[in-house]
Amino acid sequence: MSALPVDLDLAWRSLPELLAGLRVTVLITVLPLMFGLALAFPICFARMAERRWQSLPAEIFVVFFRGAPLLILLYVVYYGFGQIALLREGPLWLLFGSPFGCVIVALTLNHAAYMTEVLRGSLLAVPSGIVEASEALGISRRHIFIWVKMPLAIRYGLKAYQNEVVSFVKGTAIVSVVTITDLTAVANGIFEQTYDPFTPILCAAALYWAFINLLRIGFELWGRWLARHQREEDSPRTAEAPGRFGLRRLSRLAKAML
Amino acid sequence: MKPSAETPGPLPAPEADEPAIGLYGVVKLYGRHRALDGIDLEVRRGEKIVICGPSGSGKSTLIRCINALERRDGGRIRVNGIDLTAEEGTVQDIRQEVGMVFQHFNLFPHLTALENCMLAPRLNRGLGKEQAERLAMRHLERVHLADHAGKYPARLSGGQQQRVAIARALCMEPRILLFDEPTSALDPEMVNEVLGVIEELAATGVTMVCVTHEMGFARRVADRCVFMDRGAIVEQGPAQDFFANPRSERLRGFLAQILR
Repeated sequence: MSALPVDLDLAWRSLPELLAGLRVTVLITVLPLMFGLALAFPICFARMAERRWQSLPAEIFVVFFRGAPLLILLYVVYYGFGQIALLREGPLWLLFGSPFGCVIVALTLNHAAYMTEVLRGSLLAVPSGIVEASEALGISRRHIFIWVKMPLAIRYGLKAYQNEVVSFVKGTAIVSVVTITDLTAVANGIFEQTYDPFTPILCAAALYWAFINLLRIGFELWGRWLARHQREEDSPRTAEAPGRFGLRRLSRLAKAML
Repeated sequence: MKPSAETPGPLPAPEADEPAIGLYGVVKLYGRHRALDGIDLEVRRGEKIVICGPSGSGKSTLIRCINALERRDGGRIRVNGIDLTAEEGTVQDIRQEVGMVFQHFNLFPHLTALENCMLAPRLNRGLGKEQAERLAMRHLERVHLADHAGKYPARLSGGQQQRVAIARALCMEPRILLFDEPTSALDPEMVNEVLGVIEELAATGVTMVCVTHEMGFARRVADRCVFMDRGAIVEQGPAQDFFANPRSERLRGFLAQILR
């Protein structure tokens, strides 16, 4: 064994297996993120409704699923729903009968609850004066939402959303308890076969890190594009020679990202 | 309602002597506070009215009731021959007729000056991109900002932002313009560029109701000045009389305060 606690040979040999695990991790991240976000919109509208009979169920949903520990939520969906005969015999069993389906359902519910609050906070942050100006122009409520409120809410909520996504990715590591072999489960398996406590776990950590930072860079670029209205314009005085300009810009970008 | 770009839209043809705006016994309550305590005011077509009064007197509330940004609690409001009811349809109809400019500009920060002006015509009147762009450029030229069309609001000075806001309102080609303290949030050196633009507009025959404390502007532009205090109209009259011979004690006190 080298000075490093990492067995490079083992790391190289287990890479294909780890990458297969990463693929599962990406899948159980991306799908619930999509479904959760889609679900968050109607729940958020209900939550913001003035009528109590609309907002109360949404509030209960958020309080319940934000409060429920993810691990227990997963157990309940995976072991608990199977006890319901009606569900077992219905068409939904296609979903709840597979561990993968259960994971997607549990993670989606969890994410939707968090996203409802992120979305609500972002929408409430839109200055009322700007909404009034849109109303005064005779723009319909639906159009105000699509063209004024949402574009601004996305800008206000992007950082909170990024946080939520990053912690969500790490949260997916528990899915092995219902037999899904994600990245963490693969690493654990290799550990159990080789008794090398460091190599597989550190390799998995590196892959998580890479995945999360890829997401972060994506958010960074998205945020920059959205913030173009606040950016300093390149005034002619600061214009640089074309060759160096590219390099400078690249190094600026790199600096900003690190 | 999607009328074409050229015609201002299907309207119940208003009688010639029908006032542009009619407020009859309008009441607005905030809890137990009577922000508007039975306002009667008729604005003729093409008339320029300046409303002034101490803060909290209900000036802003009054003009915000005209385009239903505030819902009144009593009385009747009639704009361009349309009775303002709680129905969403009449509210939208009236808002197509009435442009509004705010104290704090309220531009869309994520859109350029040009896009700010294009949004409502595109959404409300279904104009195509090019048509809307032409319309927007025409009105940006009117407020002398054609050179800044591609800039985002954050890059513009307060005075420029307010002129974009005026152009944005003009793009809906309203017959009535409401100004809610359009220069109060501006640095002193920018007040005149905005007032200048409003004066140019006044010369075009559009109906105007302007809440302002710029008394020089009121003298030059207003056909009639209205003084409000505690939710009621205390005194009104032609601009000359209004300043030269204030009848009520309260207006005399107010003028002494602001002209000091």
